[in-house]
Amino acid sequence: MQREGYVPPTAGGGGATRPGGYGDNPRQTAMKYLCADCGKSVTINKGDPIRCKECGFRILYKERTKRMVQFEAR
Amino acid sequence: MAPTQEELERRRIVRVEEERVSHVTSTDFPGHYPGEDHAWDLDEFRKKFKIQIHKANELDYEFDLIGVDASVANAFRRILIAEVPTLAIETVFVHNNTSIVQDEVLAQRLGLVPLRGDKKGFQHLRWRKKNPEEPAAEATDFNTVVMTLKVACTRNHAVPATETDPSKLYFNSSVYARDIKFAPQGRQPQWFAGAGEIRAVNPDILLAKLRPGQEIDLEMHCVLGIGQDHAKFSPVATASYRLLPSIKIKQPITGEDAEKFVGCFPAGVAEVQTDRKTGEKKAVVVNPRKDTVSREVLRHDEFKGKVELGRVRDHFIFSVESTGMYNSDELFLQAVQILKKKCIDFQEKLLES
Repeated sequence: MQREGYVPPTAGGGGATRPGGYGDNPRQTAMKYLCADCGKSVTINKGDPIRCKECGFRILYKERTKRMVQFEAR
Repeated sequence: MAPTQEELERRRIVRVEEERVSHVTSTDFPGHYPGEDHAWDLDEFRKKFKIQIHKANELDYEFDLIGVDASVANAFRRILIAEVPTLAIETVFVHNNTSIVQDEVLAQRLGLVPLRGDKKGFQHLRWRKKNPEEPAAEATDFNTVVMTLKVACTRNHAVPATETDPSKLYFNSSVYARDIKFAPQGRQPQWFAGAGEIRAVNPDILLAKLRPGQEIDLEMHCVLGIGQDHAKFSPVATASYRLLPSIKIKQPITGEDAEKFVGCFPAGVAEVQTDRKTGEKKAVVVNPRKDTVSREVLRHDEFKGKVELGRVRDHFIFSVESTGMYNSDELFLQAVQILKKKCIDFQEKLLES
């Protein structure tokens, strides 16, 4: 499963020649974050100010990966 | 010339002196005493060997093993701790964990939770090999038990706003071992049916604390293992032995000294007896088993040369404390079986070569 919002840079393509620049995926520019103050989910597009839309708090957390993680119980 | 009974008794005692321990090693082997044959003999062993049970609870067992060598008693102890197989959580697959306990810390905690279930069901379980190239490395209902833990914390709106106790304020504010649920696979519903389902021995083990919005969702795979590999597989909390203390009064201790003598031991070890005819007080040893061998008596000059402290070399007071998968008495029998199997394997290897 591909982690949303992240496209690994392809070798030889040359970052400068690609429209939109590094990591710019036109399909998925919106990312979900969690507000550190009110705990609500905040969707932020590229270029948006890093700010909670509910309470205006400027600290946002990245969500935990939805992938299953395996650990040894040792 | 055969040794006297007194001499034989003397040989059984490990002497505990004021500042040292002497006569530590056993001497009942061939060639130690000229003219005496101490070759190991089955009939002789049967005559001397004794087991006395002193405490028999489900999880706590104390018994005396009399007439075996320290090497054998120690072998049982070590097998109990490190070689009797039990089931424990081995891998944890975390789908979501937003609690403050980190994934790896939570996984480690989960691994240490003792599990129990139908004892007959466990006989169906086989080893799961770690080497991925072996066929037994694949997870099947014969070698893997799946457990799940899915808890989310929510706010309880029914309580008044003045409430401060998190356990009333929120639902699932604490995650306990009882929240781990058994997810039977294949034929496991028949093996671990009803009350025999696999569950934590102690349902009240606190695993993590949650607050509203936090969630733990994970799957666990349990496998058989032995304590040698990891302490979580050890079936005993402790398996230990001590030698029976012996207190010998060589000259009578009378009068006020008798009271002082009794005071040198823990309660119940010695007592003062009064002679009915003469009215004289005399110290008698009643129950040396309760003694801690503190050597307090040896510190006082009035008892010099009158007492001899020691321990009986071949009298082991065994204590087995189970973690709950098996009962303590079953554990000792399993340890005996494992030692027996090792001996048979060794014999076969010797005969082959």
